[in-house]
Amino acid sequence: MHYESEIREPLVLGNKSYSDVTRDVAAPVEGKANKMWWFAFTLATIAFLWGIGAMAITIGEGIGSWGLNKTVGWAWDITNFVWWVGIGHAGTLISAVLLLFRQKWRMSINRSAEAMTIFAVVQAALFPLLHMGRPWLAYWVFPFPNNFGSLWVNFNSPLLWDVFAISTYFSVSTVFWYVGLIPDFAMIRDRAVKPFQKHIYKIMSFGWSGKAKHWQRFEEVSLVLAGLATPLVLSVHTIVSMDFATSVIPGWHTTIFPPYFVAGAIFSGFAMVQTLLIIMRKVVNLESYITIQHIEMMNIVIMLTGSIVGVAYITELFMAWYSGVEYEQYAFLNRATGPYWWAYLSMMTFNVVSPQLMWFKKLRTSIMFTFVLSIIVNVGMWFERFVIIVTSLHRDYLPSSWSMFSPTYVDIGIFVGTIGFFFVLFLLYARTFPVIAQAELKTILKSSGESQKKLHKHE
Amino acid sequence: MSQKKYWKGIEDLNEESQIMQDLRNKEFVEEIPTDDFLGDKESLESGSTTRRDFLKYIGFSTAAASLAACEGPVVKSIPYVVKPDNVTPGSADYYATSISDGHDFASVLVRAREGRPIRIEPNTMADYYSTTNARIQANVLSLYDSNRLKAPQKEGEEISWSSVDADIATALATAGDKEIVLLTSSMFSPSTKEIISKFSEKYPTTKHISYDAVSSSGALDAYETLYGKRALPLYNFAEARTIVSFGADFIGDWLGGGYEKGYSIGRNPKQKEMSRHIQVETNMSLAGANADDRYSVKPSEQASALIKLYNIILGENLATNKTPIDSKLAAIAKELKNAGSKALVVTGSNDKNLQILAMKINLALQSRAMCVGKPVFVKEGNDNAVQQLVQDMNSGKVSALICYNVNPVYSLANSVEFVKGMKKVETTVSVTQFVDETTKESTYNLPSQHSLESWGDAMAVEGEYSLMQPTIRPLYDTRQFQDNLLKWMGSDEDFYSFIKNNWKNNILSKKTGSTWNQTLHDGVLKLSLDPDMPTLNEVDMAAVAKAAQKYFKNAKGIELELYVKAGMGNGELANNPWLQELPDPITRTSWDNYLTISAAHAKELGLTNWNVSNGALNGDIVKLSAAGVSMTVPVFIQPGQAYGTLGLALGYGRSEGVKDAMKTGVNAYPFYKSFNKYASSVSIEKVEGEHEFACVQLHHTMMDRDVVQETTFDIYKNKSRDEWNPINMLATHDGNQPVSKIDLWDQHDSDIGPHFNLSIDLNACTGCAACVVACHAENNVAVVGKEEVRKSRDMHWLRIDRYYSSDMTKEKAKAEGLSGVTGSVDMYHQMEVASANPEVVFQPVMCQHCNHAPCETVCPVAATSHGAQGQNQMAYNRCVGTRYCANNCPYKVRRFNWFQYNGNEKFDYHMNDEVGRMVLNPDVVIRDRGVMEKCSMCIQITQAGILSAKKDGRRLEDIDIQTACSSACPSEAMAFGDINNEESLIQEPLHDDRKYYLLETVGTKPNVMYQTKIRNKNS
Repeated sequence: MHYESEIREPLVLGNKSYSDVTRDVAAPVEGKANKMWWFAFTLATIAFLWGIGAMAITIGEGIGSWGLNKTVGWAWDITNFVWWVGIGHAGTLISAVLLLFRQKWRMSINRSAEAMTIFAVVQAALFPLLHMGRPWLAYWVFPFPNNFGSLWVNFNSPLLWDVFAISTYFSVSTVFWYVGLIPDFAMIRDRAVKPFQKHIYKIMSFGWSGKAKHWQRFEEVSLVLAGLATPLVLSVHTIVSMDFATSVIPGWHTTIFPPYFVAGAIFSGFAMVQTLLIIMRKVVNLESYITIQHIEMMNIVIMLTGSIVGVAYITELFMAWYSGVEYEQYAFLNRATGPYWWAYLSMMTFNVVSPQLMWFKKLRTSIMFTFVLSIIVNVGMWFERFVIIVTSLHRDYLPSSWSMFSPTYVDIGIFVGTIGFFFVLFLLYARTFPVIAQAELKTILKSSGESQKKLHKHE
Repeated sequence: MSQKKYWKGIEDLNEESQIMQDLRNKEFVEEIPTDDFLGDKESLESGSTTRRDFLKYIGFSTAAASLAACEGPVVKSIPYVVKPDNVTPGSADYYATSISDGHDFASVLVRAREGRPIRIEPNTMADYYSTTNARIQANVLSLYDSNRLKAPQKEGEEISWSSVDADIATALATAGDKEIVLLTSSMFSPSTKEIISKFSEKYPTTKHISYDAVSSSGALDAYETLYGKRALPLYNFAEARTIVSFGADFIGDWLGGGYEKGYSIGRNPKQKEMSRHIQVETNMSLAGANADDRYSVKPSEQASALIKLYNIILGENLATNKTPIDSKLAAIAKELKNAGSKALVVTGSNDKNLQILAMKINLALQSRAMCVGKPVFVKEGNDNAVQQLVQDMNSGKVSALICYNVNPVYSLANSVEFVKGMKKVETTVSVTQFVDETTKESTYNLPSQHSLESWGDAMAVEGEYSLMQPTIRPLYDTRQFQDNLLKWMGSDEDFYSFIKNNWKNNILSKKTGSTWNQTLHDGVLKLSLDPDMPTLNEVDMAAVAKAAQKYFKNAKGIELELYVKAGMGNGELANNPWLQELPDPITRTSWDNYLTISAAHAKELGLTNWNVSNGALNGDIVKLSAAGVSMTVPVFIQPGQAYGTLGLALGYGRSEGVKDAMKTGVNAYPFYKSFNKYASSVSIEKVEGEHEFACVQLHHTMMDRDVVQETTFDIYKNKSRDEWNPINMLATHDGNQPVSKIDLWDQHDSDIGPHFNLSIDLNACTGCAACVVACHAENNVAVVGKEEVRKSRDMHWLRIDRYYSSDMTKEKAKAEGLSGVTGSVDMYHQMEVASANPEVVFQPVMCQHCNHAPCETVCPVAATSHGAQGQNQMAYNRCVGTRYCANNCPYKVRRFNWFQYNGNEKFDYHMNDEVGRMVLNPDVVIRDRGVMEKCSMCIQITQAGILSAKKDGRRLEDIDIQTACSSACPSEAMAFGDINNEESLIQEPLHDDRKYYLLETVGTKPNVMYQTKIRNKNS
């Protein structure tokens, strides 16, 4: 039996037995939804329906229903895309990278983080589709054999790399997530009493019977997938950043973008995990599993990545000055002091200043503070993408073409719609999926559970 | 029969084979087991597929197959059953003709496709009026205007031509002593004049009055005073070395326009001398924008300054007033004197006396640039006669009023009295192409024909005759004005035979060897007459100066100058969406007129312009009162506007006969009292509300970037290229290298076949916008309307950027010690503000056709790629509309189809109009919603040129491949050609020291180059 030093904080609080864990995790699935859930679900559905309406206008009438113009060809669409992709980063980082580094605290949060990833990538994937002038031809971005002539995709285009990066990321994350879910689905299947539910979970658990061989394969596949997913954590946002970095537009044409985007993505992803889990642990009574310690750990990651992002912002400014290129210099001066100074100021305050507050232990262990900050960080990260995209485009090389951007109700509708869609998915997930990887968690119950640790202490 | 035997198998060898035996008797060796299937009734019935099922399936499959064969609606194109002569589907016909719409005149070549005229190009065979401006270029669309008058009407009811003729003949015959008035636009057509004189013989009380809505009467009167004949002198700007213009917008439509070409010839810096242009004016005009030195003064001060200049040059002492530029006038006079016979003074005033003063100065200097011996006839309007007519009508002296091609109810300042007078006239006839304000008030409205449907002739300049021929059968039940007159005279002749006879008898005989057919082919007949110097009448200059002063005697307070915009002209073409959408070259605002005001003045009055959150421009509204008229007008802050003055464009505010979307602006003609474009004692008062402008350029200064390179003539002539057009260098590990030598990509092969380049001479470009409309017409560019233009979504493939100079420069910032972050921020903020009297530059920008195009690499579906001839091509069918290319374009020339612009009633312009669509060029595809588009370097023209050269087995020449913009440019600022052809005209600009590439340091290696602008400043 593996022992853990007693100075390490326990990862599972209270006197939890294996069956307690099972019961706690299965409770939201087996029980009835409370009023709060229905309220949240209704709200999310309304937002989602609004989004569908806005999408219908976009597809029915044209991109002209957005606020774009001849100078600013992308704004909220790609801002939202990058924002959602960024949010999607935390899940894989938690479940894959932390698995490889044997960080056991990940076990109670990885399931939800990964679910969030997948749902966020679904939202993100909507935007490349919707932002096209002719979305019904979206399949042309795939290199499929065709008889349209010798038409082939352009492998020079970062947008094409995006197609591959996002689809790979989405499929690997989904598989990884699902593999982890199999033993837990089996657990619910075994407890289910209603035949319909039993049948569904039977299908979803792929005939898991908990044999030693199953466990062995499970472990192996998890490790292999973690290995596969780890480079993706870095590659996806690197490639997304190349949409900008490979261009010639001042403010976009920056070699610092790949690491800067990856750090930013993890930063915003962890913030989103915080937002979701702080609510979830309360609503479905998982305080024993998602503890202050978990929250603190994630806050430390937020602080670290926030600092990296801050350094990147300052480096950008320095490079603009140091480059001696007037377009570059003006682009950054304009970001900070031009008509969109408020967006830049929000970005700087929310992303650079606010995470520094995490140096205070009192703050980083405060649930309320963490919750507020996690939202602030995501607002800040949205502004970061807006600043990069809109303030670079709206004043580039030729002053004659400078313009401004203002969103229409359709722009806003689609964004709100994706938030609604995301929460619809997440709320459904919370009611039907085991939200904690209980099978995995049980492996550390004996070593890291509070009561077990106390037992060892008294021995 | 062939005796050959073919082996079928091994069994053939064996004669006794049972199989061979069987085969001889039967078709198959073994019995076909049909009975097994069909014999056993029981098993047949128990089978799952019964006969009924089989029939059902057959029936369903047939129905499904035929359903699947149905496709979307099929648009049939029907071939000619009997092919008309000279019309080959797919190949263009060209006709030499003239456009004369009363305001503009030009000798043109019309390109017709399948019997439809679709483009107007300049006729280079003509010596005069051989260039086209924006309105002439757009005129072809007015042919297909669905608001044209389609059949004759009496009191709004359609009637037949025969009853019209009967009615009017009776009316004319019973006129008695009362006058029959023909009120027409300038008619410098010899044959029409002939008809009118014959008409007058038949009806002796006939009076022909010429009326120009925007009058040049002052200049005509001046010439008449000096030489006893109503005409204009011929101004040849190419001859002038020093040009001093007092408010004359000769790049615009001063005295009928058409002077850009001569002006730009004179300003070619390669000559030993380049002309120097000094403009003294009130509003910022196109001419003023091109000037080397520009002084902004009030209109009344212009007059005083002109008299003072006269005094200095002629050594006289006519009475005049003080002006703010008195101190400069001595120097200006000295320059003029130095230039001697190469000096030219012009004035834009419609006052006869000021015109006399300017002409007298030119005569004193013996200016060769003003040729009085070659009179120009393009303007005939007689202000006094028109005013007299209004009186006569009101006093009941007129029996019949026949208006042709004029819209006095809209364009006369005293139109109320005119309308009152019309009521006292027994018979009012309006012969017009369009339904307008005047047709509303006339009894008879008779549809006339567009220039492109008509026969006609013109003598714009003494000794050069032009012909006009129909290029399409009349679209509606229309009849030419001349035919009407012939009919009403009782003549059986139609105008075609009349004009032909008139030419045979009176005109062709003036030049030996000329034939009707040849002239019709050429479009012009040049007599090559020597100037015939008329005798100069004595004029009392003191009286002239006094009268000129009187014109402005009461000038006090704020003064107003009415002007004409390059797009809208006199307002006749208000229903033309190309012209409405055309951004004004100076303000870059479309779909509007507005009150221009100087920044300092606006600040004093608390008037502002501001950009709303999406960038669109809004402005305050004022109540403008002048000369007893007042109306509310938006204000537009205009750099270069003289302090204490206002400018307002004529030609807007049409209310009848134009689509709702085109009812833009306010009608400024009520201020045009007695054809005086100046008004004084003007008051403005801010009123509630704000006005929404459609301005395509939100930033007006260059921010001290190397976008438009310019230098002075002195530096250009005397210093090495490195000082004024240095080669862009980049630091590399091999030391500093020219940007052109550094490549991230492999070079495209450009040696095989032609490789096209376009050169734009920023010194020759006057910003007249003819190219913008030509591009619109050639490439089926969509019109998107005011709301969309406001959102910066104009679709122009070719735009003309206009920059003002700013008081703040990087050098000045350095001198003032503006450094560090706050200093830079301050510097950039000041740079955004244009000077009070700025220097102006124009820069046409279209797709630069980069050899290393940033757009090409980023398209995920390779919809934009590089052509073998240097063009950056767009495959519209392949485009999925990610807009990444547009974002990554440093020149921002790509245009996105935000909506479906054709056949969409929300965009109710020519593309949503059965008739309007006839103008579309069949060689250029109409772009769909969601697709990116941009300048193609007129690939349809270059490909056709390559093909025709190939068919003829000759080398491709420049003439085969001129793009819409390069052929439309009146000042020859654009040169287009094949750089692999040593004889191409592109070689000269390609190797010129003035050549530079826009944003060369980005490394895009464009195929479009610019030539540095040279300003002739006094050093």
